[in-house]
Amino acid sequence: MRRLLNVRLVAAALAGLAVGAGGGFAVAHAVGVVPAEKAAALERLASVATTDSNTEPAPAPALDPRPIPARMLGTDVPVPVSPSVLQARNGWLVSDGKTLVAVYAGAAGDDPAVGRLAIVRQDLVSGRQTVQVIGAGRTGALTITAAPLGSAVETSAQTGNIGLRAADGRLLVLDLGNGKLLHGSQTALVR
Amino acid sequence: MRLVAFATALAAGVASSFPAAAAAAPSPVTAWYMYGSSASELKSYAYARGCDFARAQPGTGLRILLLDFGAARKLDSSIWGAVDFSNTRFSNAEIVAALERAADGYHNCHVRGGVEIVYGNSNYHLSSSGMSTTDAWWAGYHQAERAEQLSDYQAANGYDSQTADAAADMEPSWDGALITRQLVSGNEAQGWALYYDFGSADGCPQSGSGDGPCNNGWRVGDVGYVSFSGLALPLPEIYYSANANQWTVVRKWWDGTQGGSYFFGGVTASTGVGLAPAAAWNTLNSLNSGLVEPELVCVGC
Repeated sequence: MRRLLNVRLVAAALAGLAVGAGGGFAVAHAVGVVPAEKAAALERLASVATTDSNTEPAPAPALDPRPIPARMLGTDVPVPVSPSVLQARNGWLVSDGKTLVAVYAGAAGDDPAVGRLAIVRQDLVSGRQTVQVIGAGRTGALTITAAPLGSAVETSAQTGNIGLRAADGRLLVLDLGNGKLLHGSQTALVR
Repeated sequence: MRLVAFATALAAGVASSFPAAAAAAPSPVTAWYMYGSSASELKSYAYARGCDFARAQPGTGLRILLLDFGAARKLDSSIWGAVDFSNTRFSNAEIVAALERAADGYHNCHVRGGVEIVYGNSNYHLSSSGMSTTDAWWAGYHQAERAEQLSDYQAANGYDSQTADAAADMEPSWDGALITRQLVSGNEAQGWALYYDFGSADGCPQSGSGDGPCNNGWRVGDVGYVSFSGLALPLPEIYYSANANQWTVVRKWWDGTQGGSYFFGGVTASTGVGLAPAAAWNTLNSLNSGLVEPELVCVGC
């Protein structure tokens, strides 16, 4: 066991040491090592093996990839990114059932004057997930204002362009093909 | 050997703090944000995530597979669950079915070590979704119940390398302290599952040990409560060095007012932020030496 190795070794060692004294975990509790209310759950972790007694494979569910049409995400939809990283204004999501891209726009968690984006990408087949955070500089919070929508763009939109407006009025474009945020005159190149 | 020596000293009554944990950051393991448009899709993805996790698992230890199903929700008068990151609502029955498939996937692809499969959700906009503090209490209660149900499934199927627990991304900015505390209290009342807090201490002070203010009306003591009372264990998001400072204040506040013994169940890290995963764990550990378990859950790794 790697996790809680310290708890486990201490518990085991104390149990061995304290046989004559009637201690065990009670000794650990007495010195504040393991809070009593957590002791049973932590002991349960300590009992987890590294092999399974069942050697037969379980039935695997059929892969059921369902596309998610490109859609905007309002403030009622949970944001996975911590507000200490991003104070999100809105988001956008698309999936073709195999790969998924979600973009969240807003401001830096520690400075509302700094525009920021977070891009979550998942490869649902190969099992990869990445999180990319992109700063826009001192633009104020970003809001997604133009993005591909609907079921016809479930794959193409994943490398398309997302239009954004900053709190200071600037227009920006996120090129999902290369993960770059373009400012000002650069945006004309991708429209 | 050092730890056994420490335990010997502990038993002799010469030490009173949590013993030294690892001196260097553990290898990160991947946590997943769950997006799905149907219950069957959720199950097939969860199966794949369990298998992926098993194949990539570093070392021979027990590691956390955290599946974050979105925000806790009351779906109707008697059904609880979550709304996921694609705005799809899943009942707890559908979520635990997906978690069981993750257990199957881990079993089928198991290489080494063990896994703690964790049902994660969050306190995102509980109040504005219409949930009361009582509803939040029941959300925590039923979440713990489902973790226990998953554990029963693992045991019944001979998955001895597995166990289950619960977790919540509890963010001060996302809802009030009063309603968020109810998630933890409900879990504690059910009484079976550990409840990892993989959230932030957003806006809390970065120095001292007092009950200072945090974002959204929270105080340091509220973060202490949701992260360490009852069966709660902190698995804090450490994305910037400021986060490590804030959590150190939480630990000091707890130890100063609640009788000591606060420790961290590990660290939640991410790519694309100020601290790389290993640096996140090392930064928190440097400020809380020996008080951070060797667990490093990472979104984006």
